[in-house]
Amino acid sequence: MRRARELSICIYGIPLAFLGVFFVYPLLSILDVSLRPAGALDLSGFASLLSTDYYLGTLIFTVYQAVISTVFTLLLATPCAFVFARYRFRGRSLLLSLATLPFVLPTVVVALAFASLLGKNGLLNDVMSSLFSLDYTLIQLERTLAMIIIVHVFYNFAVALRIMTSYWSSVGIAVEEAARCLGADERALWREIRLPLIRPAMLSAGALVFIFSFTSFGVILILGGIRFATLEVQIYYQAVNMFNLPLAAALSLVQILSMMAMMMLYTSTQKRLHLAIASSRTIARRARTGLERLAVGCCVALVSGLTLAPLLALVSRSVLASGRLDFSNYASLTEKSRGSLLFIAPLDSVFNSLRFALMAMIAALILGMIASYLIQRPGRLARLADPLFMLPLATSAVTLGFGFIIALDEPPLNLRASWLIIPISHTLVALPFVIRSVLPSLRAIPPSLREAARVLGAKPLDTLLTIDLPLLGRGLVVGATFAFTVSMGEFGASLFVAQREWVTIPVVIYRLIGDPGMASYRQSLAMSVVLMLVCAGGFIVIERLRIAGVGEF
Amino acid sequence: MLRLQGVSHAYGDIVSLRDVSLDVVGGEILCLLGPSGCGKTTLLRIIAGLETEYEGVIAFHGEDIRPIPAHERGFGLMFQDFALFPHLSVADNIAYGLKRLGLKRKAIGNQVESLLARVGLADLDERDVASLSGGQQQRVALARSLAPNPRLLMLDEPLGSLDAQLRDQLALELRRIVKNTGLSAIYVTHDHREAYAVADRIAVMNMGSVKQHDKPRDLYRRPRCKFVARFLGMTNVYPNSDSRILNLLGVTQSWRSLAGSILIHPAGIKLSDDIDSSALSIDSIVESVVFRGGFIDVTVLTETDLRISFALADLSLSVGDKIRISVSRDAIIPLEESHV
Repeated sequence: MRRARELSICIYGIPLAFLGVFFVYPLLSILDVSLRPAGALDLSGFASLLSTDYYLGTLIFTVYQAVISTVFTLLLATPCAFVFARYRFRGRSLLLSLATLPFVLPTVVVALAFASLLGKNGLLNDVMSSLFSLDYTLIQLERTLAMIIIVHVFYNFAVALRIMTSYWSSVGIAVEEAARCLGADERALWREIRLPLIRPAMLSAGALVFIFSFTSFGVILILGGIRFATLEVQIYYQAVNMFNLPLAAALSLVQILSMMAMMMLYTSTQKRLHLAIASSRTIARRARTGLERLAVGCCVALVSGLTLAPLLALVSRSVLASGRLDFSNYASLTEKSRGSLLFIAPLDSVFNSLRFALMAMIAALILGMIASYLIQRPGRLARLADPLFMLPLATSAVTLGFGFIIALDEPPLNLRASWLIIPISHTLVALPFVIRSVLPSLRAIPPSLREAARVLGAKPLDTLLTIDLPLLGRGLVVGATFAFTVSMGEFGASLFVAQREWVTIPVVIYRLIGDPGMASYRQSLAMSVVLMLVCAGGFIVIERLRIAGVGEF
Repeated sequence: MLRLQGVSHAYGDIVSLRDVSLDVVGGEILCLLGPSGCGKTTLLRIIAGLETEYEGVIAFHGEDIRPIPAHERGFGLMFQDFALFPHLSVADNIAYGLKRLGLKRKAIGNQVESLLARVGLADLDERDVASLSGGQQQRVALARSLAPNPRLLMLDEPLGSLDAQLRDQLALELRRIVKNTGLSAIYVTHDHREAYAVADRIAVMNMGSVKQHDKPRDLYRRPRCKFVARFLGMTNVYPNSDSRILNLLGVTQSWRSLAGSILIHPAGIKLSDDIDSSALSIDSIVESVVFRGGFIDVTVLTETDLRISFALADLSLSVGDKIRISVSRDAIIPLEESHV
């Protein structure tokens, strides 16, 4: 009995130790560097942060662009959510899945996709000028705030849509029927019933979109540049280009604190969501009037257009050269182009990425499973463990990457020069996704099943193998796929830790964009398509296997 | 065979079992009967080895089984929600315990087949357990717990989740199957009718302790305390201090010292025919009549404002009728004060 307890403490200690060494310790190092850069308390980092208009401007701009992104996302998603909740039409669930696809697409891919669609030499400009024989560039969005906002809307549309659709579907139609019987007309219905009812979901979705936009990194780095630097970009820029570690650390601290505040806000909005007037009666029906059909049509066009257009543009740019099919972009991936700063041929990074993603997947799966068991145990430690293991999700990847390079650079943990640091950082980022996928399945197993197995003579390990594992199956596959996809597309942390011959696909794409010459740019397009296909494949697995509620955030 | 001595258990500050001592004799079905939260399921879980934090002694055939973990006890437990493994077929559910014994595949197959036949589910072996009806699931659960030939079978409200009609039928069937197997069994329920039908002996529990432990007929004839009488559905319980009842029943002074209550057993009440002179005759007015099918539940009010209820086969009575009832002297039973 006693040995069993000691053993379980050891096992539960593994994910906790992992989190301690690779998450808490790097964050503490950031704190240390920001407050005591030279060993003594020195707040000059903060002083320059607060006294310089430039850095204050960075903070203001970060909030500003996040607010605009949130407003536009909600403006588009709210009416669509209404249509999805109210009307049944062919392809409805497929469309809802499609809208979620961006969620798993790496930022570098999405940034390049939008550049291919809306850039100066993008697909839309090409089509327009050949259609109307224009002699000027119609769409000039490159390096504008508008472009950044559009991409943020693309990313977050699905998050807002899903939250609001499921909420609106759960609010019974009976409330509206009652209002109608009491004399409410269509206008009054919107003003007094529908909008007030959806408000908690709107707040919750808005908070989440704000968080995602606030921490946006890859999109802004590639599409905006330093002129549109958010906190994230500024941290990266200060740490890597300027070697101003104290300032980067100070910025990271600001980032961590804002994230914590926003996560708290988000959790509080989520609590209010449960006050919904639940109804089991389905309210979706076919669109009947012309107006209703028009609304459905617009919604279908918007969702499919917003999701597919940039991705198709990316694919077409990568395979079309002067109007003809041309796969030389892909063929060239086996060689390093001249003048490139890369250590390896782009295609080699695919093997790097696959290998690291597999390692991260296995590690995250094992750690995530143990952590899930820890979380669902009764007791205070378990209650603390749940938010604790979610913390990496609430920490920006750039902060994590930065923390890694300043914390893990001396013995006994000198990992900075080792490739190990890459799968480790990916494991950390993937861990919350695995836990969120496994936990619902784990909680769904009635304790009596394990007890029944034990009474029938199953040893503890037998029970795990014959009862738990088969029942966790789907949750585990979804979690594994999430981990794999997240690792394949991870950009923020990788940019810090994936160096020299160990670069991953997203890092290579970013480097290729930065390289001079059209050849490198074309290579980056081809690489992006490869990465997009891998992630879309993972997405299909997740969508097909996930049970309702699994992997929702 | 199974002997519990001074078993106590608590969930945090909440005491769920207080000093319980019980014996299960070989070959008998013992019913633990009590309201929800009385500790009967906890007691079952302690015997099964699923609860490990408790005080007291548990011995099986004289052997102290406290240090033996659940999977080595060789006891069968049938769960209230059946706890069928949703990812396994009917046959694989039943085979689960046999596989743990390390039997050969062939032997397992034969045993599963004969068990399915015994519970009347032949031909359902490859079915998904989720596709079975409640009654079928109950039989699969029974077959699964019988499969490894347990030394003791425990059933936790095995009919609890089924509808009333099915319950009566399955209770009898359960008793037949268990008795044919020659097993000793502990059967937990909150329904006294079910307990009467299934048990050889019944232990009535309340608030963590055993109030009475008797054969079904003895339990019905002579409930020992107020709680047991009430739990068995007897409502004519009066405080011993009520002088109206003492006068009415002519109870002697010596009874007063038995601080507690007095029960008028409903089986000893009938319409007076003025023949049996040893019985008490009481004039009363019919206050309410509830038609129950073959009989009626009658409540009468005596001249001294006392309410007495009983069942009657005479369906012609109606509210307001003046009747004389006779109460047999045997039906007047002193009840002990329920200690805690």
